[in-house]
Amino acid sequence: MKVTSNKRAVIVGIFIFIGLAFLIAGILAIGSLNKSFTKKLQISAVFDDVGGLQQGNNVWYSGVKIGTVKELSFYDKSQVLVVMNIDEKSQPFIRKDAKAKISSDGLIGNKIIVIYGGTPEVKAVDAGDQLAVEKLFTTEDMINTLQRNNENILSITTDFKEIGKKIMSGEGSLGKLLNDQALYDNLLSTTEKLSLASDNAKKMTEDIAVYVHKLNMEGGLANDLVNDTTVFAGLQEAVLQMNEMVANANEVVSNLNASSNDPQSPVGVLLSDEESAASIKTTIKNLETSSVKLNENLEAMQHNFLLKGYFKDQEKAEKKAQKEAEKAAKKGE
Amino acid sequence: MSSSPREYVIAKWIDPAFTELYSAARFVLRFFIEVFQPPFEFKEIIRQCYEIGYKSLPLITLTGFVTGIVFTNQSRPSLAEFGAASWLPSLIAIAIIRALAPLVTALITAGKVGSNIGAELGSMKVTEQIDAMEVSAINPFKFLVVSRVVATTLTLPVLMTYSAFVGLMGAYLNVHLNELTSFTSFFQSAFSQITFLDIYASLFKAVVYGFTIGIVGCYKGFNATQGTQGVGRAANTAVVISMFLIFIEEILIVQVTTWIRTS
Repeated sequence: MKVTSNKRAVIVGIFIFIGLAFLIAGILAIGSLNKSFTKKLQISAVFDDVGGLQQGNNVWYSGVKIGTVKELSFYDKSQVLVVMNIDEKSQPFIRKDAKAKISSDGLIGNKIIVIYGGTPEVKAVDAGDQLAVEKLFTTEDMINTLQRNNENILSITTDFKEIGKKIMSGEGSLGKLLNDQALYDNLLSTTEKLSLASDNAKKMTEDIAVYVHKLNMEGGLANDLVNDTTVFAGLQEAVLQMNEMVANANEVVSNLNASSNDPQSPVGVLLSDEESAASIKTTIKNLETSSVKLNENLEAMQHNFLLKGYFKDQEKAEKKAQKEAEKAAKKGE
Repeated sequence: MSSSPREYVIAKWIDPAFTELYSAARFVLRFFIEVFQPPFEFKEIIRQCYEIGYKSLPLITLTGFVTGIVFTNQSRPSLAEFGAASWLPSLIAIAIIRALAPLVTALITAGKVGSNIGAELGSMKVTEQIDAMEVSAINPFKFLVVSRVVATTLTLPVLMTYSAFVGLMGAYLNVHLNELTSFTSFFQSAFSQITFLDIYASLFKAVVYGFTIGIVGCYKGFNATQGTQGVGRAANTAVVISMFLIFIEEILIVQVTTWIRTS
């Protein structure tokens, strides 16, 4: 009886143990339950240097964790083949031409593989595909670049130091400018003049603006010339007429030239025959003498008693007309 | 050759372990039945809370304070290496509130209270005081076991909270002496990374640990045999088993908490 009862206790104990074991296993698995049941596919990439990447490190795509590193093994001579487990649900988004690179999640974080790029036209990755990789920039590479930068900065600052020394000692254009009082005064004077010239230029510009405004005013000659077609047509016609006149004048001049060259023509005689010229000169002199004598005769006629009355009447009429004009002027004032 | 019925289910050496498991499961089940049935021994529960909780304060204070100081001191070099010494308060708060305070409090209480309960009930058992109570129409299980388990279950969250506070004060003292951080700045930084989930998880842990310490101590004491030797064995195994179970429970609760946090 006791043995049977004890057996029952043992069997129940076994069931309790199994139940507890399942409970504990279930709770332990609960954290990674989702991941355990998601379907995965394997893709790979070959790196020259994985920089401390380890099995189980994360794989990111566009900043999202999509899988883990399954296996690392040496490949070819010194390269490393990295096999990754990728969630099947992220497969459609990763293209065959996507690239992989080693990065880290944070400044001092774990190493991760980052998958990036890819063109939409290319097909999505399949299980077993190998992604292209980008060269890894290690911390050493970065430090080397920084070292080169430091050397450059040192060289630049050394140059600046030299320049500063020269400037302080008054060497070079800048040094003279900073240290020479006379040069400074000249520069100041030039600046003042430039300022003045600038003011003048400003004033002139304003005047030009006013002038241009006037030119643009409607009714002005310039505006009409530019905008009024009738004025322009008139001007064009006037120019044409002037051209015609010039042509006529040219013809006259050429005729005169022809006549002057002909000694038989009146003009030719006037211009070329010395005898005729002397005769004309004498005639003119005689005319001058005759006109003087005629003036004397006319003067004498004014004092003649037969014509004296006529001239006096004429003088009175002139005086009367002058007085009437003065009166009219006074009234107007 | 006649076939006799099998004497053991699996083997002689392993059958007692399953019998013990069965016995423990029955004990736990009985507790859950008795705890909700009147009469309730409130006076005894309060007395046990005083005995278990209040009298453990000096030990909890010392261990919590030392834990805070030591953990801060040990963490500083690692963070300082990355120039992140200013993250010390956050790190310490996470460590103390999420893990150290419940665990340290539970281990200390298991050592002090678990052994005490095991030895007390064990001596009552071997001196047949429990049998005498049964004869006197007093339910010894309700009076001795339920009151103690309820007391440890209620007291441990309080002790854990106190231990976390004392640990953070120790950490503040260390940080203040080294980094001259102000009290306000330290606690602002410390609680910046703490969520209610962390606090609830720690309180839940403390409740589970308290229950474990109480039930294991009572079970071992209540089932003590073989005179004074049995009393010593009960006290010893109460501590060992409760500590072992505390670590198992820690793993399981952390797993569940992490799952809740990430989902």
